[in-house]
Amino acid sequence: MRMLGTLSRSFKNSRQGLWFVPLIVIVIALVALTAYTDDFATGQNLNNLLSQAMPLIIVAIGQMTVVLLGGMDLSVGSVISLTTAILALDAPPLALIPAVFLAATMIGFINGFSIVTLNVHPIIATLSLQFIVVGIARLLRPVAGGSVPDAVVSIVTGSFAGIPLSIFWAMIIVTLGWKIIHGSRYGLHLFAIGGGVSSGQGNAARHSGLADKRNIILAYIFSALFAALAGVFIAGRIASGDPGVGDSFTLDSVTAVAIGGTQLSGGVGSLHGTLFGAILMVLLANGMNLANLSAFLQGAMKGTILVIVVALQSRKKMGL
Amino acid sequence: MTQLIELSGMTKSFGANKAVDNLSLTLMPGSVHALIGENGAGKSTVMKILAGVHQPDSGHIYKNGRQLVFNHPRQALDFGISTVFQELSLLPNLTIAENMFLGREPITSIGSVDYKKMNADSVNILAELGLGLDPNTLACALTIAERQFVEIAHGIKADADIFILDEPTAALNAADVDLLNRQIRRLKNAGKAIVYISHRMEEIFEICDRVTVMKDGRHVATHELSDITPDVLIALMVGRELDTLFPDRSEDHGAIRLDFKHFKLTATSKPLSFSVSAGEIVALAGLEGQGQREIIRSLIGQYQPSGGMIAVNGISLPLPVALNHGVRKLNALGAGFIPEDRKEEGLFLGLSIADNIGLSIHAQQKAFTLAKRLSDVINRTIQKLNVKSTGSSAHVNSLSGGNQQKVLLGRYLATDADVLIIEEPTRGVDIGAKAEIYKILRSLAAQGKAILVLSRETVELIGLCDRIYVVHDQTIVAQMPAAQATEHKILDVALSQSVHGKE
Repeated sequence: MRMLGTLSRSFKNSRQGLWFVPLIVIVIALVALTAYTDDFATGQNLNNLLSQAMPLIIVAIGQMTVVLLGGMDLSVGSVISLTTAILALDAPPLALIPAVFLAATMIGFINGFSIVTLNVHPIIATLSLQFIVVGIARLLRPVAGGSVPDAVVSIVTGSFAGIPLSIFWAMIIVTLGWKIIHGSRYGLHLFAIGGGVSSGQGNAARHSGLADKRNIILAYIFSALFAALAGVFIAGRIASGDPGVGDSFTLDSVTAVAIGGTQLSGGVGSLHGTLFGAILMVLLANGMNLANLSAFLQGAMKGTILVIVVALQSRKKMGL
Repeated sequence: MTQLIELSGMTKSFGANKAVDNLSLTLMPGSVHALIGENGAGKSTVMKILAGVHQPDSGHIYKNGRQLVFNHPRQALDFGISTVFQELSLLPNLTIAENMFLGREPITSIGSVDYKKMNADSVNILAELGLGLDPNTLACALTIAERQFVEIAHGIKADADIFILDEPTAALNAADVDLLNRQIRRLKNAGKAIVYISHRMEEIFEICDRVTVMKDGRHVATHELSDITPDVLIALMVGRELDTLFPDRSEDHGAIRLDFKHFKLTATSKPLSFSVSAGEIVALAGLEGQGQREIIRSLIGQYQPSGGMIAVNGISLPLPVALNHGVRKLNALGAGFIPEDRKEEGLFLGLSIADNIGLSIHAQQKAFTLAKRLSDVINRTIQKLNVKSTGSSAHVNSLSGGNQQKVLLGRYLATDADVLIIEEPTRGVDIGAKAEIYKILRSLAAQGKAILVLSRETVELIGLCDRIYVVHDQTIVAQMPAAQATEHKILDVALSQSVHGKE
């Protein structure tokens, strides 16, 4: 605990959040799992882990762009479901892929629009759209089934020179996320707007001429687009459409973002934190499966870890 | 020397209230122009017009003879006008450099923010001000003075030639004031025009060249400071006639109801004692931010005093009061606290008059007692206070400011509180309602209530109260019967304290 205190002091006055907290837990979990289970450190299992972690990492990056603004996107799970449903339609892949991203862009725009223009609270705006999108997904594909084009399946599950393609995709998508959040003026403005919201100085961002309405809508579009990307991944893996497959991702993505040190009130967070948060969640689920822990206890563990990790990261501790 | 900025015929109203009335002002390069006036004289509004926060109803701004129009603070900065607002506007989670360049960040060839260039430029600008701050420091880690310097640096970066400082020293200690003054002189020597809004006479005489006095939104006089003395300046600031707004006083005072003894606001402030008796209206007067508000709000636990005793109705109030039940504790002792901002802190705007009045009675009962309708008490209170509305079920936000204030008063009349502590009894209330509220307060006093008032309007305190305590630097520096008090006298006591008290 004392070490944690010293560490967190040295991270004081950083707006990246305490991303090392999930990292420390990841290291502990890795050591423990390698030591106590035989099946963990096998190539098969690690490959499995990566393909499980990918969709969550992708959704969480999108989720993070809106959480940085002090918002939340509860429609990401439904976007994933809709994506798989669209991809399992009977049409050429060259038509399906653009349809997926077009739909996601529209959903993101509607979310952002109702938040900034109609002044609906983000939770309500995205929750209502979630109901609508789930409805559409079920209309397209009432029960799981159909088949996803081979091209999509092989993009996701294929390998190149013995290395799974998903590793390349992971690198590309994380780089893209880093570019948006930490490597662009847009990302800085996300932090600025979120910082204004959480400190009650919303005017500061506006006075500086940041077009915050546009920036906020764009963040919700990013969130939906990343969710659609995750949906493509999942569709490729299960090779069929499933109108319920995205359900768990909505709250899991918020959990990953929160564990990663992003403050739900906005303005504080980091991409690597979100990455660690998502990896930690998948790692724990995997470890608990290997340990044959009952599903009920697994949920309880997830909840306990979330509350502990987030309690370690109060704004005050960071000097903000 | 040619003028840099000229304001002419500037008028701005908020509702029925003319905050700025046909004001004209010229600013010269290389000079520091003080803008003074009583609270509410319209100084801040003028500056917010110059800063692009408010748009004037009429009037023009000229810079070097060219007319400027702006609808947005960003545009004002583009025209070279930089403002350091009273409420600071740096984003706490961004670094100094990011704050300075916000919305104008340089980018690298791959589209990332060019931190190297941004930080280097920031270091240069900060160095121009003689500051060695690390541009990577987050704004939340800076002292208030440093934040102001960063805002000034922001203006320099935008190549501003007009700097507006709105009460920059209000939150600074003496050493920081010194630093700030050095920065102001530096700007002045660089040929910039500086507008300096302040209440502190000694600062104005120390660093300003010219002074403009405002009163009730109007221009009173502009002088070279070398031609004028503090006394003349104070006389220009006050000098409003007292009219027949105020009811007659009475001499009948009863037992002490509210008693502060050896009360110390902070560990370093001097102890103060004062009391309010039944039948008496007493005021805490003084310049803004001298601790009046903190003294009063210690009663509800918003500030934690460092020592002393407070007795309400003869029962001592254990200090410090806990914030989350301070108001109720005070109620239980028979005192009502009426906050300054009735919309934010006092009333529930979306609830009915009846709910708002009945609240204090309900609050005195246990949480799960059945809530009675209380219509008798409520109707009686509404009648007594002459609240004009469509009925007791009317929502409070449909009422005028004066009637809202009466409803808030009514909340504590309904519980029959013996002591009323009122901040700004007539803020944002028209003149007719003011007179009515004064009459109500006086009649309440006549019924044996003790009333403590705090107001930014010195005239109001003089006219309404029986006795006035002048607060300065967190303690009481003078006491006078209101009948003998004048605005001049009160300002004089307060200001002479700030001139002599600092040595």
